[in-house]
Amino acid sequence: MAVETVKCDFKILILATISGGYAGADSVGQLHTDYPANVYVLPVVCPAMFPEDFYLRTFERGIDAILVMYSGTDCPYKGGAERTAVIINHVYPLMETRGIDTRRLRLAAICTVCTKPFLNEVIQMNHVLQEIGPVRQKRNVPVPV
Amino acid sequence: MPDKEPLPAEEIRIGVYTCQCGGNISDVVGCARVVKAAGELGNVVVSRTNLSLCSDAGQALIEADIKEKGVNRVVIGACAPSLHEQTFRGTVARAGLNPYFYNHVGIREQASWVHHDNPDGATAKAIRLMAAGVAKARLLEPLEPIRLKAQKHALVIGGGVAGLRAALDIARRGIKVTLIEKSPFLGGHMAQLEQVFPTGDGARDLLKALIQRVVSHANITLYTQAELVGVQGVVGDFTVQICQQSRGISDDRVTAVNVVAPANLPDEFNYGLTTRSVLYQPYPGCYPATPAIDWAHYEDGCLELNGEPLHLQNKPKTFDLAVGAVVVATGFRPYEPPIGEYGYGVLPEVITLPAFIRLLALAGEDERLEFNGRAVKNIAFVHCVGSRQLDGLNEPQPDGQVNDYCSRVCCTATLQATNELHQRYPAINVFDVYEDIRTYGRGHELYYNLASENRVRFLRFHDDELPEVLAAPAGEEHPALVWVTDYLTWGQSLELPVDLVVLAVGMMPNPVDDIIKLLKINAGSDRFLAEVHPKLRPVETAVPGVLLAGTAQGPMNIQESCAAASAAAAKVAVLLGQGYVELEPFVAIVNPALCDGSGECIKECCYEDAISMQPVMVNGTEKVTAVVCAANCAGCGVCVGACPNRAIDLQGWTLKQYEAMVDALAAEDLFALELA
Amino acid sequence: MKNLQVDALVVGGGIAGMQSALDLADQGFHVALVEKEASIGGKMISLSKVFPTLDCCSCITTPKMSAVAHHENITLLTYCEVVALEQNGASYRAQINKKPRYVNEESCTGCRLCEYACPLDLPSAFDMGLGAQRVIRVPFSTAVPQKAVLDIDNCILCGKCENVCPVADCIDFTQTAVTFEIHADAIVLATGFELTPTDAKAEYGGGKLRNVVDALTVERFLAPTGPYGHVLRPSDGKEPESIAYVQCAGSRDISLGVAYCSRICCMYAIKQAMLLSGALPLADITIYYMDIRTFGKGYEQFYQNARAMGIEFVRGKVARIHEDAAQNPVVRVEQIDDGSVVEREHDMVVLSVGMLPSYNPGLIYNVPVAADDGFVAQSAANISPCLTYQPGIFVAGTAAGPMDIVDSIVMAGAAAAETAAYLEERRAVGMAGNGRSPQTTSVKEVSYA
Ligand SMILES: Cc1cc2nc3c(=O)[nH]c(=O)nc-3n(C[C@H](O)[C@H](O)[C@H](O)COP(=O)(O)OP(=O)(O)OC[C@H]3O[C@@H](n4cnc5c(N)ncnc54)[C@H](O)[C@@H]3O)c2cc1C
Ligand SMILES: Cc1cc2nc3c(=O)[nH]c(=O)nc-3n(C[C@H](O)[C@H](O)[C@H](O)COP(=O)(O)OP(=O)(O)OC[C@H]3O[C@@H](n4cnc5c(N)ncnc54)[C@H](O)[C@@H]3O)c2cc1C
Ligand code: SF4
Ligand code: SF4
Ligand code: SF4
Repeated sequence: MAVETVKCDFKILILATISGGYAGADSVGQLHTDYPANVYVLPVVCPAMFPEDFYLRTFERGIDAILVMYSGTDCPYKGGAERTAVIINHVYPLMETRGIDTRRLRLAAICTVCTKPFLNEVIQMNHVLQEIGPVRQKRNVPVPV
Repeated sequence: MPDKEPLPAEEIRIGVYTCQCGGNISDVVGCARVVKAAGELGNVVVSRTNLSLCSDAGQALIEADIKEKGVNRVVIGACAPSLHEQTFRGTVARAGLNPYFYNHVGIREQASWVHHDNPDGATAKAIRLMAAGVAKARLLEPLEPIRLKAQKHALVIGGGVAGLRAALDIARRGIKVTLIEKSPFLGGHMAQLEQVFPTGDGARDLLKALIQRVVSHANITLYTQAELVGVQGVVGDFTVQICQQSRGISDDRVTAVNVVAPANLPDEFNYGLTTRSVLYQPYPGCYPATPAIDWAHYEDGCLELNGEPLHLQNKPKTFDLAVGAVVVATGFRPYEPPIGEYGYGVLPEVITLPAFIRLLALAGEDERLEFNGRAVKNIAFVHCVGSRQLDGLNEPQPDGQVNDYCSRVCCTATLQATNELHQRYPAINVFDVYEDIRTYGRGHELYYNLASENRVRFLRFHDDELPEVLAAPAGEEHPALVWVTDYLTWGQSLELPVDLVVLAVGMMPNPVDDIIKLLKINAGSDRFLAEVHPKLRPVETAVPGVLLAGTAQGPMNIQESCAAASAAAAKVAVLLGQGYVELEPFVAIVNPALCDGSGECIKECCYEDAISMQPVMVNGTEKVTAVVCAANCAGCGVCVGACPNRAIDLQGWTLKQYEAMVDALAAEDLFALELA
Repeated sequence: MKNLQVDALVVGGGIAGMQSALDLADQGFHVALVEKEASIGGKMISLSKVFPTLDCCSCITTPKMSAVAHHENITLLTYCEVVALEQNGASYRAQINKKPRYVNEESCTGCRLCEYACPLDLPSAFDMGLGAQRVIRVPFSTAVPQKAVLDIDNCILCGKCENVCPVADCIDFTQTAVTFEIHADAIVLATGFELTPTDAKAEYGGGKLRNVVDALTVERFLAPTGPYGHVLRPSDGKEPESIAYVQCAGSRDISLGVAYCSRICCMYAIKQAMLLSGALPLADITIYYMDIRTFGKGYEQFYQNARAMGIEFVRGKVARIHEDAAQNPVVRVEQIDDGSVVEREHDMVVLSVGMLPSYNPGLIYNVPVAADDGFVAQSAANISPCLTYQPGIFVAGTAAGPMDIVDSIVMAGAAAAETAAYLEERRAVGMAGNGRSPQTTSVKEVSYA
């Protein structure tokens, strides 16, 4: 698998459903496929739990992009996928009014074996970030390694 | 829970453990650096790494820290939470701590295994993820599992050998079973077999004995012509809806019924080699013995009772059952080659192996084997039809994917057929065209050895040079030709003139999209139903209380189907035997002080009776707020995102915890954040 | 030791025995698990990563070992063997011999100070003789129980361990074997398998060629806990650049009296080839085979991945192996595709050895084995694969013939179901069981709509 080299000073947060995206990310790991290390996946039951302001707050804190990897039509919860889509649609105009590029937020359906789509999303978002830059100016703080 | 009065300040003492996973993590992630960084985070009193935390010694280490160092929150960075979250919950609980004072961070599948070429990046990422884990750990609450009454009753779907075996083993443990079978008769595909490998027993004799035990068991209720049409509820307490078609005619009247319509329907039991009537039985001795009406072909007037026309109607009956667990044993279907694959559907002399088994059975005591009115002298078997397909070399299936798996039974089943053929018709020349012979199981190799002794002529092809089946030129003695580039004769191109070509077709899962949807289970990329993990939980699906048995999960022979069915039965007995099940406490919870009773949560929640408005006492005054019913709450958190007041939250996954994690991930200076 | 009364006795603490014990104990039955070695885990605990998922093997096994050790319904008895069995009505009375560890199992803390102090190094049995082990030692890093054991035959009685042991009277050179009884209503045999000895086949060097190793040795090479932490060939410690696998080395070979297929070796060879090409990216890996038998769920895809990775698969039977002056093994292969016979030199050759029965329960348990393969005979192989010819005695895992971990675990679950049902039915008939399931009520009708 081709590995894209990217500058890792962007941070991408992935909110991934335990039944879908998070398991998909685990599958990518099981295949030992490399992707950029600027991606942080947090497991969520269903992203419908996040109200609009959660996303705005996350951008304000300096996360450059959010990928919401929900389970789409495979969502094990009734109404969860639809609700997630509704909330995300509400967030876009709010981002615009705050001057946050809406390309920083994406909703994608990822299932447990969606390894290629997972990688695609990660690579695409890195491309977008290279183009539009960080969400805000960063101080020069070394990574705590 | 957010905004609750903090408990009388118990000091939060976090233990952070970074597993090396025997090198799986430490080969890429600098574990020592993670330990050091995590050790500097606030509230962290212990930070360690270990070769294998899940080992007894690793777990003992954590227990000792809890007991001796007063660690009261545990964060573990290791493999995926799906593998060992439960293990470490147990560790924490054994040391006397609430098991939910523990947070698992995946740094193997999501760091060391995906950043091989970037150890620094992987290490930095692991540190961030661990810091987020610590941030969540500070906000963890003690939780208690929810204990629900469990119905001591299981539903088994599918009356093939796997379903029968599962039903019997569950019933033998004192648990009631309802077995539903879609067709009018029990037994599934095994009923269509004759002698079965590896024992040579008669398939229907074995089935008959098993069915006898099933139907005589007091705990089992059977419904044929029945299907699952609805599912509500959760493990321990599912309400399932079953729809059953009418049988048509009761036992006492059946002898007096006369079928007027000709018996010209293709008999599926014999794969269309024979025909049957609209009122039918697949084979003598079938169970139930009462013939069934084939409603798809029923027309008014086709039956008479005592000389009078009989008017029947299919009146499907739907009913509900309360069950604690569901076993899916919906089985397989033989691969049906598309028209033209190896001449199938084009040359009448090309049939599938299951059909050939019926052909042999129908031939009975005949002196010679006939097909299409001509004596069979030469016969060729072709292996791996519809199995082991390769992208680019084979035509994809209608869903665009090739069948890239081995069907496991067809090699031995083919050799068993050649052996039977040889025994009954020693004069027939048998060609066996294969890629690899997979007689892997106990006793299977003997079938291969016997076939060689019987002078079966083996020919071996390569997967990029598939054999071809063509019509022989008119006037030839044998109607079909099989072309093989044979690597047992060093790549010679050979032409086999034959009277019959038998395609050793593989297995496809029975189409069960409806069941997948209803039970919310998954199929894998091979379309068979998926288990959680082939070694840790081989017969369990991702949905608690839903188990798999037999070939619905993947190709298996009878023995393997029965073993899987019994293993599923053991899981059902574990689950329901106690009369209650314990669920994770990850449900919604309302903070009445913040709730204004507007009911936004109820509007969005899709689960019946999960949230309702009820009067509660808040600070001495009565007020109407949302109240969650834990047993009905699915724990999805849709309500959380809907509440304008942040009055409702998800236990174990609170918004505050996510915000804290985001802060840890986003912070430009991790340690400055800590000081803030 | 006190005598023990349990519902079921499980013999063998490999993956199959552990899983049977857990599935029974989780249903509320009391189980005694008897293991002849000083730790449970069986063969599986010494593997590196396991097909088809390539999980770390230890990560699958150690939690099960730990769960067995901690389960309130399981009594774990290591270093024990059943030496006699008596039928007592419908129950069994097993006489157990517990071998002396020379260490007090109750008080040992597993601190390993004794091991560090011991002056003698022996070839490590766990690491297939590759690494070293001390005379007194905790069997291996993830052993359960984490208790030291002393190998008295090699001990020089210097007393160094006793001096450093922090626990009073823990090391006891005078300990003797003890015997006690276990009374059980049912028994599960999960005694596992052995490997074809490397010296079985004279044509393959009869075990004398240094750079011809068996596959279990390679598992230790590849394991993170392994002896070298690297893949090095035994004769000179060189990194091998060319490695060959000889399939069916000990299986499907009438000359060895083993007509059957061992079922796991195709898959483990492919797995090891994939892991080796990760560890040694420059090495050429060749697999000589007759048929590739990747029949399990996801296995064929695994094989195709290996082909795509560039592992060379050669259809051919290896007739013999000899060694050149540099101790490089040379294999003589009859290539099936073109009928030619070639000799090819490799740096290291791995024998894909097969599975042999490890234990014959005929004498003590009166449970017959099959004449053709020596594994425990199954009395109803198709429908009830865990039944033996002895009522109340069941079989699980590779004791009933070659199988991989997935199949062993599934069969172990099935054995637990059979055993549990047997126990339940015996109770229902008031312990008057004769070992056969009681026939219940009269035949009842199916309900029709
Ligand atoms: C040609 C051939 C030869 C074989 N020979 C041998 C042999 O010699 N030895 C051997 O060990 N194995 C043999 N096998 C394998 C053996 O047939 C299978 O292992 C076994 O039949 C699988 O049983 P099952 O219960 O899993 O599936 P099935 O037999 O397919 O049974 C599934 C049942 O579920 C029912 N069902 C499906 N969908 C639903 C639904 N939605 N609701 C309710 N019910 C439903 C079906 O009607 C069916 O009755 C052979 C297979 C083939 C193809
Ligand atoms: C080189 C190699 C690589 C492999 N790789 C894989 C792989 O990647 N994936 C996979 O699925 N499978 C693999 N396997 C197969 C796997 O090892 C077996 O399927 C599995 O270990 C069988 O477990 P078991 O419990 O049946 O037997 P065992 O592991 O042999 O356990 C039997 C236990 O019983 C004990 N015992 C024996 N006799 C007695 C007695 N009389 N009294 C008391 N105790 C007794 C033994 O000491 C042992 O602990 C591999 C095998 C080998 C050899
Ligand atoms: S069992 Fe044999 S015929 Fe069937 S798919 Fe596998 S290799 Fe091909
Ligand atoms: S020194 Fe004593 S306590 Fe420590 S492992 Fe050895 S025997 Fe056990
Ligand atoms: S599994 Fe493969 S190597 Fe092992 S005996 Fe069978 S065919 Fe030979």
